[in-house]
Amino acid sequence: MPKNSFKTRLKIAKNKLSRKNLYKNKQSPSSIGTAFKMSTELVSAVVVGTIIGFILDKTFGTKPWLILIFFFVGVVAGILNVFKSAKKMQR
Amino acid sequence: MATNPMHQFNVYRIGPEIKLGEIDISFTNASLFMVISSITILLIFNLGSKKNSLIPNKMQLLAELSYTFISKMISDTAGSKAKPYFSFIFSIFMFVLFCNMFGMIPYSFTVTSHIIVTFVLASFIFMGVTIIGFIKHGLGYLKLFVPSGVPLVLMPLIVVIEIISYLSRPISLSVRLFANMMAGHTMMKVFGGFVISLGIVGGWLPLSFSVALTGLEILVAFLQAYVFAILTCIYLNDALNLHH
Repeated sequence: MPKNSFKTRLKIAKNKLSRKNLYKNKQSPSSIGTAFKMSTELVSAVVVGTIIGFILDKTFGTKPWLILIFFFVGVVAGILNVFKSAKKMQR
Repeated sequence: MATNPMHQFNVYRIGPEIKLGEIDISFTNASLFMVISSITILLIFNLGSKKNSLIPNKMQLLAELSYTFISKMISDTAGSKAKPYFSFIFSIFMFVLFCNMFGMIPYSFTVTSHIIVTFVLASFIFMGVTIIGFIKHGLGYLKLFVPSGVPLVLMPLIVVIEIISYLSRPISLSVRLFANMMAGHTMMKVFGGFVISLGIVGGWLPLSFSVALTGLEILVAFLQAYVFAILTCIYLNDALNLHH
């Protein structure tokens, strides 16, 4: 029986698989993953900026100023992060 | 059982106290679950790759599916240059996935719900990627911080912003995994507590919520492992193919 032979069955299965993959590739499979990604991107840069400002303040003794400046620089960096990953998503 | 929803994150010692100088290196429940997940991964992949038949059995199917999944992800996001780093990304993904999934078993401990664990993983990735970038490009890797087409007046500000954006990578990588795991598990525990306190009359609503949350948490456990791995690939891609 040629129909029951393993080779034909394998061919049919492979055909099915490739058709399914073609259909799947049209939409991005990792869209939920990228959505999760964006959330912390903004916050983490603010945190890093503030920490850097705090450390620099301690070493130079300019108590409130550098932490303020670096906080806002961190905010800008966070927005840049989100912007970059949004750009990456579009490609 | 304690009704405190944060009680599940307690780390306690199992067995004798071991000290290395000042540092406490005793075996804890966190280390126990790390060992369990590592051994499970080793077992699955050893059994799965033992005999290579054309028609795979379940173990082999599992191993081959996860192999193709990760290798496709790497070639999609980081290109063919990243192939040598497959084993690193694969082990990171598998470890995070199994730690997350073992955390879903009742009475177990979720290793990845502690920021120190995820931060160590993320900082290893960060340092590794930075070292790879400097090896591949030398000092030219610093061009990552200097985007093209910026007026010279703005350059110092932009460079500082880019450096902060670069340094925020391990923080965002670790906080994402830790926060998702901890928030989800706390929420499940809180709803579980509601079921007890509302009793048989009003307890059905939080119970159904708990069931739905369990499904969501399994999705999140997989998704966070996936995001962790794919971000590793993206950072690796930045280090390998330097273009701004």
